[in-house]
Amino acid sequence: MDFTFTKKEEKFRGELRGWLEVNLPKGWLQGDRKLPEDNEHYSKFLRDWQRTLYEGGWAAISWPKEYGGRDATLMEEIIYHQEMVRVQSPPLVNYIGIHMVAPTLMQMGTDAQKEEFIEKILTGEQVWSQGYSEPGAGSDLTALQTTAVKKDGKWVINGQKVWTSFAHLADRCFLLTKTSQSEKKHEGITVFLLDMDQEGVETRPIVQMDGHQEFNEVYLTDAIATDEDIVGEEGKGWAVLIALMLHERSGIAAQVFTLEQQFDSVIEMAKTVRVNGCLLIEDPFVEDGLADLYARINGAKLNYYRNITHTLKNGRPGPESSLDKLLVSELTKELFDFAMTIQGHAGVLMNDDSVFSAEMQGQYLASFGATIGGGTSEVQRNTIGERILGLPKDLGR
Amino acid sequence: MDFALSEEQELFRTAIRKYMNDLDRTAFARSVISGNLDVVANATSGLAEMGVTAIPVSEEVDGLGLGALDLVPVFEETGRVLLPGLQLETLALAVPLLESFGTPAQKAARLPSVASGESSVSIAWYERDGSLFPNSFSCIAGKTESGYALTGTKTLVPVIGDPDTFITGAQTAEGKSLFLVKASDVASSRMLSVLDETQQLAEITLNQAPGELLGEPGHAAEMLKEGLLHFNAALCSSMVGGMDELVKMTAEYAKIRVQFNQPIGRFQAIKHGIVNMKLDLETARSLSYYAAWAVETNATDKAAAVHSARSFISKAFIKAAADSIQIHGGIGFTEELDVQLYLKRARYYENYFGSVRDSRRATAQSLEWHSTPAKRDAVPVS
Ligand SMILES: Cc1cc2nc3c(=O)[nH]c(=O)nc-3n(C[C@H](O)[C@H](O)[C@H](O)COP(=O)(O)OP(=O)(O)OC[C@H]3O[C@@H](n4cnc5c(N)ncnc54)[C@H](O)[C@@H]3O)c2cc1C
Repeated sequence: MDFTFTKKEEKFRGELRGWLEVNLPKGWLQGDRKLPEDNEHYSKFLRDWQRTLYEGGWAAISWPKEYGGRDATLMEEIIYHQEMVRVQSPPLVNYIGIHMVAPTLMQMGTDAQKEEFIEKILTGEQVWSQGYSEPGAGSDLTALQTTAVKKDGKWVINGQKVWTSFAHLADRCFLLTKTSQSEKKHEGITVFLLDMDQEGVETRPIVQMDGHQEFNEVYLTDAIATDEDIVGEEGKGWAVLIALMLHERSGIAAQVFTLEQQFDSVIEMAKTVRVNGCLLIEDPFVEDGLADLYARINGAKLNYYRNITHTLKNGRPGPESSLDKLLVSELTKELFDFAMTIQGHAGVLMNDDSVFSAEMQGQYLASFGATIGGGTSEVQRNTIGERILGLPKDLGR
Repeated sequence: MDFALSEEQELFRTAIRKYMNDLDRTAFARSVISGNLDVVANATSGLAEMGVTAIPVSEEVDGLGLGALDLVPVFEETGRVLLPGLQLETLALAVPLLESFGTPAQKAARLPSVASGESSVSIAWYERDGSLFPNSFSCIAGKTESGYALTGTKTLVPVIGDPDTFITGAQTAEGKSLFLVKASDVASSRMLSVLDETQQLAEITLNQAPGELLGEPGHAAEMLKEGLLHFNAALCSSMVGGMDELVKMTAEYAKIRVQFNQPIGRFQAIKHGIVNMKLDLETARSLSYYAAWAVETNATDKAAAVHSARSFISKAFIKAAADSIQIHGGIGFTEELDVQLYLKRARYYENYFGSVRDSRRATAQSLEWHSTPAKRDAVPVS
């Protein structure tokens, strides 16, 4: 057992830290971390940030060098996430492009696709979204109804996507469609690399419960795609989807470290906020609850370390790594739930009127999305029960 | 980054597990319940043959001089079958106390026979008021020409497998002090009726019993707290072993028990319930490994590591057992099924040398939440 980082890893960390100090947006490290409100400026700010990352060689460190990455090791990726969380860096607007779409194209894309998309994904010139969910297909993606029909050598796409993150900023969409009706529900699905800048694609933002507008409805009305836009084989989109999911090997790291940071901020609150002249932490109920959360949050991080160790030793993650997302998203919800409780009635105040941190009430509201997006907690439990514990499959699955 | 037991430790686990299978798993625990206590000595000598009893004892006194991490697979596997005996008390509390605070002569007199498995040591700490850290002991140690004589009553004393020595606490002029007392010098003892029948607890009375001072007089509480870091790390491993077995048993049953024409494991109330047990198990395992690592390497967050592990696992073990009973249905409520043994063991450990509330308070204190120190760096241990 050994938790130390190698000299090489520490050097990597130092290099990144040094770079961030110079290159983060002005005032960021000093705490001025407000993002522009209106869409246009917001989009520009984030694209500029990705461009900066790209120019420094920090946009896609896990990619092979030949594509402009750094061939980063898993540990370097983890350090990268740690440092990005530490400085609370601006979000990566092309997260889907960099961590999911491009690695999938490197694996199974055509030469022309690699040529056309990979560099633009890296520079931030082209931002991507993921169009899976539909009004009638959420947890059960195989129920999707968006169709792509071939007419005169082109694919004509009709249907509706929903909850599509970043679609309002995106240039392209990694789109799941049905190209033939089949008895078997995982067949007849085809993935297109859809150009969103066309008449047949209409994006309408949806206001989330935390007031943000990060996901959208996407209406597809005779939208056009070509054979060249298909990833993998026609009708074999399900395999592409699985391949894509496997590429997202370290995304959970950012969530683990963010949770840890959020916990520290709740502790700061308990150590500084007074109610009736008494620090929150002096209330045994608060102390007890926070110590319980400390154990579980630390436990979740340690689980993650154990899973990393498994990957380092065996070259691939073990089955238990599928527990990470469920644990971390549920704990985030519990942490903020408790943070709200202990603030008393003043906990209803937000932004600049907030008792402690202008962000906390928003983080509380945002925490509800994490146990739904990317597969609900219930579906995660089904998967864990079936794949790890070997329990019988749900009927209909 | 390497957060896993070593290959040798995993190999050792395999060997211990095989031995536990040879002992017919929970059969030994059940023997104790039906009054056959010979099995305890058998198991101890079997473990001694494998070198287990020598693990934490230093090499100068015939031990192997290994650390807390080497005890992890041992206690996970003995915990898995609820092996009855004083392994935890002897190897994870008495040995660390003797190693840390004993004189060379005290170590030489006791530790070689512990290492060889001939001797087991228990702790006679609690008094009738039941508090872990009382303001003072009612048991009094008076000075004599050759040392001390102890008089008083201790209760909740583990005595399974006939320990030959007790580490006990008594009041001296300096305050609360630790002593070594020979079991043969106990004036009288009364067996107590215990919820977990695989344990044996006694109330023992000392009447001018000769006591050998252990460590500095007046420092019993600090010494015990230090010893308890070792003990709790090991206890956590033992509970993790129990939880692991509960998850296995429960998942297996959910696959074979059919109702409404389907295995009950298909019902999500059941499936998700077992998955939640599994989540707790993995968290418990991570916390217990880390606690053992922190103890072995004397890490700066050692106390927080141990106390947070203990607070989580004590509760999670009870919950796993309780949920397992429910998932088993009627058979879960029977004496015949082992699950009830795990529930009773979990309950037995809940407040053993500290409650969940105590561990949480200790976690907060060791992380200095009550003072205002610098913020924890987001970069972890390095
Ligand atoms: C913040 C956020 C971002 C998102 N971003 C995207 C995106 O970029 N692209 C995209 O395609 N989608 C995105 N989604 C959509 C997300 O993937 C779906 O919301 C999710 O898969 C659930 O589908 P649903 O909303 O249709 O809920 P439903 O599937 O209708 O679920 C409703 C309830 O039923 C439960 N349920 C469903 N099936 C089962 C089952 N078999 N067993 C037990 N319980 C079950 C669910 O757990 C849930 O509690 C995002 C969602 C959120 C919240």
